[in-house]
Amino acid sequence: MSDRIPPLAVRLLSRRLPPEWQDFILGDLEEEFRARAASAPAAARRWLWGQVLRCLITPPAPSRPASRSRPGPRGDSFMRTLLSDARHALRVFTRTPSYAVAVVAVLALGIGANTAIFSIVNAVLLRPLPFEAPGRLVRLFHIPPQATFPGMATFSLSPANFLDWQRESRSFEAMAAYSFRQLTLTGAGNAEALRVAVVGPEFFRIVRTQPALGRTFLPEEHEPERSRVLVVSDGFWRSHLGGARDAVGRTLTFDGQAFTVVGVMPPQFSVRAWGATTVPMWRPLAWTGKERAVRENHNYQAIGRLADGVSLGAAKAELEVISKRLERQYPADNAGWGGTAIPLQELLVGDVRTSLWILLGAVALVLLIACANVGNLILARSMGRQKELAIRAALGAGRRRVFQHLIVESLVLALAGGALGLFLAGWAISTGRTMLEDQVPRAGEASLDVRVLLFVAGASLLTGVLAGAIPALRAGRTDLNDTLKEGGRSDASGAGSFTRRVLIVAEVALSLMLLMGAGVMLRSLHNLRNVDAGFNPRGVLKVEITLPDARYKEPAQIRGFFDALLERVRALPGVVSAGMIDTLPATGGGSVQPIVVEGRPELKPSEQPTVSVRFGGGGYIKTMEIPLLAGRDFIAADAEAMLISASAAKLLWGDADPLGKRVTLPLISRELKIEVIGIVGDVREQLSEQAPPTVYYYKRDLPFGQTAVAIRSAGDPLLLARPVIAAVRAMDRDLPVQEVRTMDQVIEETLVAERFRALLLQIFAGAALALASVGIYSVLSYLVRGRRREIGIRTALGARTGDVVRMVVIEGLKPALLGIALGAAGALLAARLLEKMVFGVTATDPLTLTAVAFTLLAVSVAASLVPAWRASKLDPLIVLRDS
Amino acid sequence: MWFKSKTAALGDFEQLVLLGVLRLADEAYGASIRQEIHARSGRDVSINAVYTTLDRLEGKGLLRSWVGEPTAQRGGRRRKFYAVTPAGVSAVRHAYLALRSMADGLEDRLGAK
Repeated sequence: MSDRIPPLAVRLLSRRLPPEWQDFILGDLEEEFRARAASAPAAARRWLWGQVLRCLITPPAPSRPASRSRPGPRGDSFMRTLLSDARHALRVFTRTPSYAVAVVAVLALGIGANTAIFSIVNAVLLRPLPFEAPGRLVRLFHIPPQATFPGMATFSLSPANFLDWQRESRSFEAMAAYSFRQLTLTGAGNAEALRVAVVGPEFFRIVRTQPALGRTFLPEEHEPERSRVLVVSDGFWRSHLGGARDAVGRTLTFDGQAFTVVGVMPPQFSVRAWGATTVPMWRPLAWTGKERAVRENHNYQAIGRLADGVSLGAAKAELEVISKRLERQYPADNAGWGGTAIPLQELLVGDVRTSLWILLGAVALVLLIACANVGNLILARSMGRQKELAIRAALGAGRRRVFQHLIVESLVLALAGGALGLFLAGWAISTGRTMLEDQVPRAGEASLDVRVLLFVAGASLLTGVLAGAIPALRAGRTDLNDTLKEGGRSDASGAGSFTRRVLIVAEVALSLMLLMGAGVMLRSLHNLRNVDAGFNPRGVLKVEITLPDARYKEPAQIRGFFDALLERVRALPGVVSAGMIDTLPATGGGSVQPIVVEGRPELKPSEQPTVSVRFGGGGYIKTMEIPLLAGRDFIAADAEAMLISASAAKLLWGDADPLGKRVTLPLISRELKIEVIGIVGDVREQLSEQAPPTVYYYKRDLPFGQTAVAIRSAGDPLLLARPVIAAVRAMDRDLPVQEVRTMDQVIEETLVAERFRALLLQIFAGAALALASVGIYSVLSYLVRGRRREIGIRTALGARTGDVVRMVVIEGLKPALLGIALGAAGALLAARLLEKMVFGVTATDPLTLTAVAFTLLAVSVAASLVPAWRASKLDPLIVLRDS
Repeated sequence: MWFKSKTAALGDFEQLVLLGVLRLADEAYGASIRQEIHARSGRDVSINAVYTTLDRLEGKGLLRSWVGEPTAQRGGRRRKFYAVTPAGVSAVRHAYLALRSMADGLEDRLGAK
């Protein structure tokens, strides 16, 4: 018989033993086995297999480096203990699933909500625009003279000024002007009005995007007579041209004229936020000589690409210099008009930037509260496990080891929460995206990309550490002797409960800040909804109609059409009145023009006062129920007349009577002298902004081909939609009818951003409140459990139910009150962030703060009552016997 | 820290191992220590327990070790030798003195005379 140890034993041990021990242990076993086998082979074999088995079951830990000063796990062995801690944590959780599920659910909600908001922040603020070197793209603007356009930071460009900028500036690789027109597509079913971007020759070169099919515009196509060519969007190519490869070269009929498709842009070119790319098609900008010379009328947008090595500041400075020179050269038109450049990205998302960061901050607070709650749960559990931890310590586990063990447990929970949260976020993103994409620029691009995934991983790890750190530190400080001596009895008045109270204070304080934000937002939304806009939107239906220039050339034709249409509409059953206007309030846009009062010295255009100019006719004022303050409305006999708003009257005439006075709108014609026939109430164009001074101008032979018709209904205005559309179609089958909506809907749509903000803050605040009340409840329950004995003695000594309830509730209210005080201070500090977003209420509104504080107080009392009631029901006999 | 005294407190088995190494002087390695403990205390411990403890004591600075040459007797494998450091001697002395003074006068009752 061989006196060597069996190969099987060697193989098994080689697998199981840490490599650094293999030589020594196998050598020792072989040496002793040989010695034993010499006398008693069978017993030696039994002895050997016994040893092998024991080695297999509990192999020695991997050797630690002989560091004298700091014995402890490192490197490979650190990973091993980490993994073994994680495995242990999973085993513990399968034994107590309800605890694990509660923690994971709370964290999943917190992390999920954070991820969803972050993915929007990521898409809107962090992800670069899908153009080559997007950081070099800037939009170019005039800075208008502040005397005439108070508060306006940017203004559109006039063709002549743009051409001068383009010629003289050296800071830009290229500049392109563009604007928008409406074209009516006919010859394919119902007529369809399409918004078209008319773009200068350098436009596509500046955005550096190649068409997917065909080409962009040739230089000669920017001549007026050769400009009937189109580049279409990917969306239009699919919906209207069947996605055909041979779509290039086809002709489409717009307003009775044939246009040739020369190119198709790729899908990613449609950047939602930027109007110049979301249109279905582009046409060459082809200025006539006369148009190129226009300097006083500002109605073109412009984009530029900064030249290599030129900073934004340098480019701005150059535009200012050129503007100054133009001011000197054309003082009548350009006095006071500066120039500036703003990065495209900043412009697209500037408005929502603060909003989004605030929401991210709010949702991060929710996560913090969730962390505090989970920290509480873990703490409660680790208190219950003090004995287990003490035994671990007695067996040689260092404080660092116990800390690591508990942190790993909380990390395992947090990572599970993060994984689940990721699913929740995915769902929330796909739901929220469709809701938001029209409201928040680029929000439609929100998705779970690498950055979002990194965010989830980071948030989960941070959450795990935050939630686990306090319990783990506390557990490490546990006095070994006391714990073992007391036989696991936890003491409720000790340091553990101090930590818990601190967590409650934090939860309540954070909740108060969120509630305050939500409260202020709700009040602001309420104020906006109830603001007196100057007209009555209830019961009004609006439709937009665009008469194609090609078929409606003569003013008489246009006037005839609208007169007949209004007549038909007014005859419909249920219609109270109807009128038309070029731009309805709350729909954006509309013309702002200088105005000259007859008989006063003519000022330079840049110094003339400006007013909003609405082109309308009879019936509009009545339909919108805008109060007529003096004079009369337009009547059919008027050839030309003007109504002015109260603030316009004040601006132009002060306290003098404007009725019968005459004015000129120089941008329309210097020859016109328009008589003021009435004064009407002020109308807000944006609910949150003051009503601008406005004039309503009617001229029989200067009708607008693009008009909104407002119809007041006796009943539900939407019931009129069908008959109104039928009336339009009956007059002209090829007319597109757009935007058939009630004015209430129009106004509600302008509030989407506010509603969205208020809704999310409400959800976050609700979640925070729920988490905080659960936190208070669980801590008090725990405290009451720890003080059973004391409460029992009190009851035995004659304390009544009310005394016990009061005692416990006060116990719970102390940290809650401290939290409310700290939260109020925090809310007042954070109010500065909200100040710009609220309307009709200050972000530090004392009423809201009081209401919120009382809500939290009430919730705290309610959360304390159950444990208090339970405490009062303790039977002193049972309690004292048990202890 | 839980353990405040300067001299590391020793577990029961740690004392046995340290004493074993002291007894064996230059010949202290896994198998010899195991056999020494078995022979003197009657405890037939597993070799892995011996190594785990040796390693821990070395980590605490109570032992030092070196590796010997491979021998045929061990199938060409090497030995790892241990020696007690001054701190180790002091720790064993501490434990021994504590036990002796606690047991002082109890020999009759313990039946250990």
